[in-house]
Amino acid sequence: MRTAVSPMLVRLADERATGVLVRDHGALYLADGQIVHAESPAAPGLDVLLTASGRLRPEHWADAVAQAGARNEVARFLVDSGQVAGGELEICHLGALFDAAFFALAPGSGPTRFRYGVAHWIGAVRPVPAQVVEREARRRGRLLDSLWPYPEMDTAPVERSPHTTELTVSPRQQALLNLADGVRTPAAIARKLGRPAFNTLIEVRRLAAAGLIQIRAEPAEPTEPTAISEIAEPPAMLDSALLRRLRDALEASL
Amino acid sequence: MANTETALKEATTVIEGALGAALVDYTSGMALGTIGGGKDLDLTVAAAGNTDVVRAKLRTMEQLGLKEGIEDILITLGSQYHMIRLLKGRGTNGLFLYIALDKQRANLAMARHQLKKIEAELEV
Repeated sequence: MRTAVSPMLVRLADERATGVLVRDHGALYLADGQIVHAESPAAPGLDVLLTASGRLRPEHWADAVAQAGARNEVARFLVDSGQVAGGELEICHLGALFDAAFFALAPGSGPTRFRYGVAHWIGAVRPVPAQVVEREARRRGRLLDSLWPYPEMDTAPVERSPHTTELTVSPRQQALLNLADGVRTPAAIARKLGRPAFNTLIEVRRLAAAGLIQIRAEPAEPTEPTAISEIAEPPAMLDSALLRRLRDALEASL
Repeated sequence: MANTETALKEATTVIEGALGAALVDYTSGMALGTIGGGKDLDLTVAAAGNTDVVRAKLRTMEQLGLKEGIEDILITLGSQYHMIRLLKGRGTNGLFLYIALDKQRANLAMARHQLKKIEAELEV
């Protein structure tokens, strides 16, 4: 099972810390121990979510950052200037926060650092208790596994399955399938569509379970005529390795 | 203009008989906000579970070739009404408002009307 617990985050929440927690796959911004913002290279940012849908023009986003970024009030500026409604901004920001936090809290091997006193320029939107964010990250991990337990789908280039089926897909799924070209990863598709990355992972796993999408098939190895000597070679090493892998796979599925 | 917290608060104070409400993202099953509920009604569990209700209905409509959107879904229990209102936002990722009502105290037509108004105020 994928655990998302970060002991350091729990401690920082307890001491009501303010600053940024930097982990392998993203960063969490805290204010008084609550999570106020999150970022991850795997998840589209608020700017992508707002601009890709045509909701906000990219130049207006850039203008808001230029005008209010220095005083950490970009969110407030967007609302006060009437460009985005308060409820809409909050929902979009919460979506981006939980999305990035899911990746930021994924198990990693690198060091975890916390820099005290750092605030994000987006400014105050809606703080979320750290334990709520952790609980949601764990729930998301379990949900993905329950749909189709192949995490390798999350980061590999995906393509449509060659088999045609009569299954109907929703317009949202269709838009995703149209971008599954064997080059883009789910994260790249999410960015292109302007949707949260986790929502895209969910749809990719659902489509994979339905047999509509797959990890890009490796180009077939050129088959060369097998020499007689190779056939005569006792494949004992290969067999034991294969058997070990089979045993591991069987044990893992128990 | 309202934020999610005030919208949910309004839903549970203005709508007669409200037991709890949640704003839910129906792809991820996450409650973006909840109000009310309690030990008899875990709203995060309700949020995730009702996601399947919405998805099942959307899929059925696809299969039937119905091109219309869903305005709301009503589930009637012995003592409660559960109402799901899908939000038709421009850039939203598929959200619904979920509200549980006490059947004895609730006025269904009024509740639907008020939920619609709250959606409009959210401006999503």
